[in-house]
Amino acid sequence: MRKERVMKGLLRWICILSALMLLPFTAIAEAGEEIETIVTIVSAPEQTEAERPPCFPDPADDYIPLPETENYALGKPVISGGHTDVYVDRNVNDGSTDTYWESKGWPAEITFELGETYTVSTVAVCLNPSSIWEPRIQEIAVWVSEDGENYMEVAPAEKYQFDAASGNRIRIDFDACPAAYVRLVFTMNSSSRTGGAQAAEICVY
Amino acid sequence: MNRTDPGITSAQVLPQSWGITPTVEDGTVSFILTEPGQYTVVFNGSVNKALHLFANPPETDVPDPDDPDVYYIGPGEWVMDAIALHDNETLYISGGAVLHSIISVANARNVRICGRGIIDGSDYPAWNQPGSYSRVPIDLNHSKDVTVEGIIVANSNCWNVNSYSSRNVTIDNVKIISGRQNGDGFTFQSCTDHLVTNCFARTWDDSLVIKNYSGSTRGITFRNIQIWTDLAQSMEIGYETDKGLTLDPEISGVLFENITVLYNFHKPVISIHNSVDAFVHDITYRNITVENAFMQGDNGYNKELIEMTLQNSSWSTVRDEFGSINNVLIDGLTVLNTLDGRVPRSRFSGQDEEHRITNVTLRNITILGQPVRDLKGLKLDLNDYCDSITVE
Repeated sequence: MRKERVMKGLLRWICILSALMLLPFTAIAEAGEEIETIVTIVSAPEQTEAERPPCFPDPADDYIPLPETENYALGKPVISGGHTDVYVDRNVNDGSTDTYWESKGWPAEITFELGETYTVSTVAVCLNPSSIWEPRIQEIAVWVSEDGENYMEVAPAEKYQFDAASGNRIRIDFDACPAAYVRLVFTMNSSSRTGGAQAAEICVY
Repeated sequence: MNRTDPGITSAQVLPQSWGITPTVEDGTVSFILTEPGQYTVVFNGSVNKALHLFANPPETDVPDPDDPDVYYIGPGEWVMDAIALHDNETLYISGGAVLHSIISVANARNVRICGRGIIDGSDYPAWNQPGSYSRVPIDLNHSKDVTVEGIIVANSNCWNVNSYSSRNVTIDNVKIISGRQNGDGFTFQSCTDHLVTNCFARTWDDSLVIKNYSGSTRGITFRNIQIWTDLAQSMEIGYETDKGLTLDPEISGVLFENITVLYNFHKPVISIHNSVDAFVHDITYRNITVENAFMQGDNGYNKELIEMTLQNSSWSTVRDEFGSINNVLIDGLTVLNTLDGRVPRSRFSGQDEEHRITNVTLRNITILGQPVRDLKGLKLDLNDYCDSITVE
């Protein structure tokens, strides 16, 4: 806490000093020598906490909407065909888009064990919504199973556009069906920065 | 400027070349600034709680807030996960604004970042902590025709101002203060045609850094810069001189000019660590002033004033056959103060007969008020793989 107070105090002073540098005033440099300088006064709005800059409207209003029902995949056992570096599969259902799974090559399979049989009709795939994740296309198919051995394709492979303007997320809707296991098969990612599939969160509704 | 504290009995304004002698009376320190610049005040002869004052010149060419290509951030405290800038866009951060965010310029051209505000990374956990990642406040990547001017960058959770494989970049009057791990200052990898001028860097890692990650480096100028290096090197070329193992990698046409090192507490002030296989050549250091060369090194090592090496390091991506260093000029190096009042050692070390350090001229060097006239006076250790090393 003390460190935070010191840091905020320091920031306040840096802020004030940087503003002071803009202030117009007449200074006496040497005896009798006046130096005229330009003065600009800046004023900040009343704030109780840091806010989002008004010039960057919150893009959340334009995000692709997701169902408000329970996400059956959240925190459930998950297994993939492999991962790159530290981007392990458990990152895809930890509830945070700050962490992500990146597959090790193609095709990239990832399977969720839901624990019991649910009626499912939507799968959502999310990347980090930050705009520093450039737009990309990933090709994805969805399969479901009730016993973990016999799978049925409910959404054939299709290319989906991920774009920060729409939340870097896509949703795949299909006819409602029973499922205790849900498997996604990725076959393409247009990003030049990776050699595999990427997903920060995969949700099953 | 006035500062009052009953405990203050003396004060010094740096760089010494400003020639400012503050008055101290009843705990009040007073002095007058007559021109824009960067000023550091040290109290009671202690580097603790030094005050950095950035007296900016009046702003010109302030962007129009109504321009659709301008993002205008006014005074206040602002937070945003990240800001990505694209072709022809300008980000203005006003004086009196503190922005908690990072700015990414990737695959873009004709981009401007300017203002008098602050980008602060204090709230981000260190980049290597679980769930965290590198949040570089100014991050240029494969971009060109970029200008960064006027702002302050404070306490990044990693490097501070980074440019990778970018071209034609100008950084003017940017001030960095960071006391955090891996807080490198201005750091460029495989870049061409960069100018850093009128800037300040107080860093907890290398202050001015050049590396090769993917491709060669050419045409980098650091001019009129003040440095305070709490950890690592002040002006570092390396260690990764060819991290991506590209074809015929080079680092060339690099100029450090009018550089004032206020303090260096750890590793060499001037260093070329070619620990991969690049050809490092045509490197110039001109008019370098080191006010306090306090290199304490690591367990007796890495405490040289000048160090040039071709040797393995933990950053090497080759096991043998390192590159070479050729045609280096240091013209004007003045050291005002050292930790023990003695001339610090320097070291040049080539690898073998084929990988050598050649044609290094050291001219106009003065240490502790005494002109250096030969290699012995510089306390320069050379191994067998160095040629044409001269002191003039």
